[in-house]
Amino acid sequence: MLRQIKPRNARSKRALDKRAPKAVENPKTALFLRGSSCSQIAQDALSDLYQLRIPLAKKFTKKNEIHPFDDASSLEFFSEKNDASLLVFGSTSKKRPHAITLVRTFAYKVLDMLELYLDPESFRTLSQFKNKKCAVGLKPLLLFAGTPFESPVPNEYTLAKSFFTDFFKGEPADKVDVEGLQYIVSISARDSVDGEEAKPKIHLRVYLIKTKRSGQKLPRVEVEEMGPRMDFRVGRVKEADESVMKEALKKAKTNQERPKKNIETDIMGDKMGRIHLGKQDLKELQTRKMKGLKRSRDVLDSEDDEEMLDDAVSDEESVKKPRK
Amino acid sequence: MATTTEGSSRLPVQVQKPTPYTFDLGLLLAQDPNPLQLSTASQLEEDLAATARDGAQALINQLLSTCPITSTPSGVLLSLPAIESRIPREKPLPTPAAQTTWQKFAAKKGIKPKSAATRQNLQYNPDTGEWEKKWGYKGANKAKDDQWIVEVDEKKEVDGDGGRGAGRRERRERVKRNERLMRRNERRGRKGGGN
Repeated sequence: MLRQIKPRNARSKRALDKRAPKAVENPKTALFLRGSSCSQIAQDALSDLYQLRIPLAKKFTKKNEIHPFDDASSLEFFSEKNDASLLVFGSTSKKRPHAITLVRTFAYKVLDMLELYLDPESFRTLSQFKNKKCAVGLKPLLLFAGTPFESPVPNEYTLAKSFFTDFFKGEPADKVDVEGLQYIVSISARDSVDGEEAKPKIHLRVYLIKTKRSGQKLPRVEVEEMGPRMDFRVGRVKEADESVMKEALKKAKTNQERPKKNIETDIMGDKMGRIHLGKQDLKELQTRKMKGLKRSRDVLDSEDDEEMLDDAVSDEESVKKPRK
Repeated sequence: MATTTEGSSRLPVQVQKPTPYTFDLGLLLAQDPNPLQLSTASQLEEDLAATARDGAQALINQLLSTCPITSTPSGVLLSLPAIESRIPREKPLPTPAAQTTWQKFAAKKGIKPKSAATRQNLQYNPDTGEWEKKWGYKGANKAKDDQWIVEVDEKKEVDGDGGRGAGRRERRERVKRNERLMRRNERRGRKGGGN
């Protein structure tokens, strides 16, 4: 845990404000780290992913004695120190060759982790493809193909999808230049076959997009592989704590007006409103008015009767008395 | 595999799949929910490229047909809709700053911050049609001090408080009371911010 710094001058205050929690967040920085042993293949994979992520990325080259699934406190330290919430950690061991661990943090604490084992045979680096690369910092198009990513229950593949969406999201933009749609990251996995032990591989491919005139309004799209080419086997997973994830998925309240309920516009452009009337009490229902049914008359009549009775009695007495 | 249908002379631009794509255009993301069609291991790259091509075509078609396009001198811009996918934040939502002791007290008592009009030492007198000072030398709060005849307030006269000089006395008392409260507040503040 880093010490809490109280800013002593305007510059450090600005620096702290920059990393303070915000309603609309800064784009996530990705930090690339390597373990104490990391094969050349895994290192190349890390640097290629770093190339795709520039400028929202930092890469460290020193060896770190970290085992993310055993103790992630070092990763949390790195996350806080560098204000990076996406970590990509490469390591190699006999049991877990060419492992690339994707780590996400929330409030500098590990949120979820996914371990992917890179296939060394099919791996090709960015530089092995001899063609023109796209400009640095462009937003890629993203494609997830295959049924595993559509799973309704969260599993490794939906987690991988969430990770890669986060990874390739780039700077938030409400407008993009059409010229900037230059490459597509395609992540695909075939269906899992019943009775097969191994889980399907995740294929990550990056293609340049070429558009051709098609003689219609929309252009014809062709793709050309740009690299890197990576095939992953899915390894260990640490899923997010449900309560933490709920906290992380919260959205800031916006000043945008919410759509008003119960007001609709029909096809003719007329505004239609629905209003709620309280429950109707049928006892209060006004029926046909008749003199005889007057409620006030009811009460009055009974009172009159009593009075009349009284009068009658008193009259009788008064009448009788003189007779006595 | 997708079946692309168009005239032979024109290049096909439509992509047709058994299950349609879903898009999150804010992220420039397309999802192809169809099972991946892979023929043989040697054909893997071609198949993946074909899937990616179809996906790219569908996504670009969707972008160009649904997003509003504006052309500017710097280029043709696409306005993207808001992001629909739920992506976790990196830090919790900012908490609103804690209220100071004074803010709490003012909220409880319903004290509003003074406006510029209340601070201004000038007010319009509709009787004379002139602007006059509210307080201080020739202030409006002393207007009744130098009346040549004073109406006796019968209730106050019982306590020996009515009549000439009552207004001034009252004002002096208010000042003293305010100073007393101020001293108390200072003492309380020195003791360490009790509410």
